[in-house]
Amino acid sequence: MALEPLRGRVAYIFADDDFDVDQIVGVDHCAEQDMQVLLDVSMQSFDPQFARLARPGDIIVGGQNFGYGHPHYPAMQYMRHLGIRGVIAESFAPGFWQNEINMGFIPITCPGIVANVNRWDEIEMDWTGKLLNRTTGCTLQCEVLSERHRSIIEAGGFIAHLRSKHRSVAA
Amino acid sequence: MGKTITEKILARAAGRSEVSAGEEIAAKPDFVLAYDWPGQTDVIFKEIRQSFGIRKLVEPERFGLFIDHMTPAASPNDAEFHARTRASCDEFGIAVYEHRGIGHHVASEIGYACPGGFVVHFDGHVSQLGAYGTLAMGLRRSLIEAFVSETITMTVPHTVRVDLIGTLPAGVMARDVFHHLVRLLGPGACRFQVLEVGGPGLSQFSTDGLQAMTGLAMFIGAVTAIVNPDDDARYAEAASRARKNFGRVTSDADATYAARHQVDLSQLEPIIVAPPSPANTRDLRDYVGLEVHVGYIGSCVSGKLEDMRAAARVLQGRKVKAGFALHVVPTSQQILAQAAAEGLLQTLTESGAYIGSSTCDYCYGRIGVMSAGQRAVSTGTLNVRGRMGHVDSEIYTCNAATIAASAIEGRIADPRPYLEGR
Repeated sequence: MALEPLRGRVAYIFADDDFDVDQIVGVDHCAEQDMQVLLDVSMQSFDPQFARLARPGDIIVGGQNFGYGHPHYPAMQYMRHLGIRGVIAESFAPGFWQNEINMGFIPITCPGIVANVNRWDEIEMDWTGKLLNRTTGCTLQCEVLSERHRSIIEAGGFIAHLRSKHRSVAA
Repeated sequence: MGKTITEKILARAAGRSEVSAGEEIAAKPDFVLAYDWPGQTDVIFKEIRQSFGIRKLVEPERFGLFIDHMTPAASPNDAEFHARTRASCDEFGIAVYEHRGIGHHVASEIGYACPGGFVVHFDGHVSQLGAYGTLAMGLRRSLIEAFVSETITMTVPHTVRVDLIGTLPAGVMARDVFHHLVRLLGPGACRFQVLEVGGPGLSQFSTDGLQAMTGLAMFIGAVTAIVNPDDDARYAEAASRARKNFGRVTSDADATYAARHQVDLSQLEPIIVAPPSPANTRDLRDYVGLEVHVGYIGSCVSGKLEDMRAAARVLQGRKVKAGFALHVVPTSQQILAQAAAEGLLQTLTESGAYIGSSTCDYCYGRIGVMSAGQRAVSTGTLNVRGRMGHVDSEIYTCNAATIAASAIEGRIADPRPYLEGR
């Protein structure tokens, strides 16, 4: 597998269960397509400095059933724009999980993550699911993504993955 | 080792003698459905032409496209979008259904709900075809794979089985059963799994009711929901309309389930789902008296004949409170016609209800919207903030009888006193 281990800082912890990601951009902007607007309005109720503090390669952390409800795309478009690579959560709502892995965003299920990381901890996960909190030394076991799902991430999204698989057989 | 109905359907679709939950398979959908929607179907058509060089689909008769959102067109842009959809469908030989109603339900009227069939869509509410023993899954943007390739790659899901026992009391509807499951088992109880509903209590439900129960599956985390066709009449009705016949597929008695639960329906009360999340399921009685301004009876899951009948039963000879907007929108034109034939529309209009022609557009706030501070009772699919208008308006989802009773009082009301003697 060519994927490098996932390594980055915990840029934010959304600890609530059943977290509705539209809250990140606010309901008024849940379908906003203008990134400049998203940069202005997002994360205001969580940490208004988020966009300034986040760095490419950072990771966000979520609770149980992360992405529940009717998730729209802009919240994670905003995260990707800032260079956030993925979200590690206790568990995911399937619709959100499917949407985001299709965009090449990394959704990792890791029971125990919320209680075992603090904001800005440096964490590292290899693709066998071993997660190390480099700041505290704590280790956790994540669910392992299937080879197919890893190749979607490696391709940068589902359509790119399909293209590599099917282009040659196109009529 | 026994198999679930889901494993049996997917084994056939994968051309295998058997498959088990957890296995990765390549399955051929019997039908590929969608509704035209910006960012979904337009992207699919563009990508399959440009990125995959596709000029012809494998068995285009498997594909069906519904024009049910942005209907009727309210702007030239809407009309142009629909025109492009029709042109693309023409190009690829895809059947288009327009002005028939909401696709997830119309699909059952026109034979896509084949017992034992495997149907894919991008939208998860297609799960309501599960009422007919059809495995129908919303794949989100992965749907494009079904256009690019004859098969889709997927993992066979595990199943959570819920057995219903007992008799549902008057004034409590199928929709309440689903909301009750969310409360009882938790909004993530069936994550990435199939919700299979069965048990002796099943036969008391109409297929309309089962569609409401299965159509909301995503809000308990399920990838779809399915009912074993254990009622002869229901199976015969579905099989008579089905475009393909796969025989009667059911779960084995010794099938393996991820979890199994039993629910006694006789203990259920009407439920109201308070904003801002479908996880927020509450007892209706705790909200009785709260002022409401708008009522919506409709949507892919709850604008069925059963809902029209329940509303008419409550509203017969009574009036909607002055100033209250009650929108009644039958899910399909066939339901609209049947409701007219039964005299339900007359009862409803005499009471002051406003009848709309079938469309998805009330449910997601494109028409019939609320201003700031307004509050709705709704049989729509979802109660997140801003979905039916201003972000400072509120949506309480509940059953159709509750909405009819609330329309009379202009406050959230218990339908049961209004149903006494009817």
